[in-house]
Amino acid sequence: MRTASRLTKPAKTAVAVTIAAVGLILGPFAIAMSPASASTSASTGVGWIRLAHLSPNAPAVDVYLYSFGNSSAQIVLRHVSYGTVSPFEQVTAGEYTVAMRAAGAPASSKPVLSTAVDVLAGHAYTVAGMGPYPGLRLQIIADRLTTPPGKALVRVIQASLNQQVVAVRVGHTALSRQLKFATVTGYRAVLPGTWTVRVAGSSESTTDSVSLAAGSLYTLVVLDSHGKLVIDVLTDAQGSKVDPAGAPQTGFGGTAARPGAALLPWAAVGVAGLLTVATGTALVMRRRRPALHAR
Amino acid sequence: MRYGRHASPARLIRRPWAAAAALIGVVLVCGAAAGLAWASHTGHPATPAGTPPLVPVPRGKWAAATQAKSAPVPPPTALDIPAIGVETRLIRLGLTRAGTLQVPSSTAVAGWYTGSPRPGATGAAVIAGHIDSYLGPGVFFRLRELKPGNLIYVRRRHGTLAVFKVTAVRTFLKKKFPTADVYGPVPDAQLRLITCGGTFDYSTGHYLSNVIVFAVLATA
Repeated sequence: MRTASRLTKPAKTAVAVTIAAVGLILGPFAIAMSPASASTSASTGVGWIRLAHLSPNAPAVDVYLYSFGNSSAQIVLRHVSYGTVSPFEQVTAGEYTVAMRAAGAPASSKPVLSTAVDVLAGHAYTVAGMGPYPGLRLQIIADRLTTPPGKALVRVIQASLNQQVVAVRVGHTALSRQLKFATVTGYRAVLPGTWTVRVAGSSESTTDSVSLAAGSLYTLVVLDSHGKLVIDVLTDAQGSKVDPAGAPQTGFGGTAARPGAALLPWAAVGVAGLLTVATGTALVMRRRRPALHAR
Repeated sequence: MRYGRHASPARLIRRPWAAAAALIGVVLVCGAAAGLAWASHTGHPATPAGTPPLVPVPRGKWAAATQAKSAPVPPPTALDIPAIGVETRLIRLGLTRAGTLQVPSSTAVAGWYTGSPRPGATGAAVIAGHIDSYLGPGVFFRLRELKPGNLIYVRRRHGTLAVFKVTAVRTFLKKKFPTADVYGPVPDAQLRLITCGGTFDYSTGHYLSNVIVFAVLATA
């Protein structure tokens, strides 16, 4: 009875120590990797603005862009004539003033026209002098910067005074049937490809060829040129034709920090092993003595 | 009689738990010794950045800022980033069958994604390169060291240069890859350089993050 209890206890201890040791061996394999630090947003607080002269009978102008409350111009475009559209300029998001003066007029003179533009981060704006002269006004046209997957977006600015109402088609897609002078359509999604654009007024029409890429946005500007109807194709924004899926795998880890395997579990296993050996040996020794006595 | 001579082992066998415990203990001690020897020889620190090799500032005609009615720009052929010692030709990258971006088969060259606008044209041109191979640094190993204002030179066919200025260098978890910011339409000429970064996940063999450099066309 006494002997049995003495034997059972160390046996249990030996088994427990063994289980603990096995747990220590397997433990490290269960440790998961810690995730990387959180990402930050890519928006950088800038927007875009472009300036245009789309009033057929208005004289050339100087166009000024002022950051709101700043008396010196950030951008000056000189001698801008009808049909001119500037490239987009990247500007810090915020309030701006666009002013037009007669070409060559001093910067200190009173502008013929001016308008305030609120540029939001990540947004683009076209500020165009539009309408007949007199009656010219500065119009702020918001430009889109997204497309549906696999599609191009197209819109039309009607700036022909000779053909005051036009119909515009791209391939088989009607962008507008009745587009009035000094107005702009919304963007329309079309399949990418090379298409024939047809602009038809009441007494004149014209065609042109346009190549439209998926992921890009375009504005067709209908203009008078030496008494003829012409189409100017503006690329508003371009993106990748196809957005690749996921994130690129551009590394194999040859320069990454490689954590060494932990030493502590192995040391613990060693200690557990020594304890087990000691316990087992002690038990064997104790078992022998009573057995000899009995004999 | 024979049996009697080997009395000691016999007694051991009579109490197998004790013998087994001792045996397991010996195995554990041996295993632990081997484990300690192995573990103390594993792991290495991240490769330090060191000093970039000297790359001369490319000379040539700078491409004009994008015009609304500009002629088509030629395709890119090479990339130079003097600030971090990058000087590489550019290969062409398409899409994999899975729809992901192809990456260069060599870790020593970068590639231009042909589905993105050409560098210098309106839109964001996308160039990808490896941070490292299995053995050491790749072409974009030092990309994360770029700072806003650093210049990036893209050589194009017919000898023109498109010069870009870094606006931001950011790290994104791959799970939160900013697809729209990298591939989406933009109204001016920009550049995105992509490589890997952050923690390397040894269980998948991939880095957990991407380092992305945002740049805009610099005017001459």
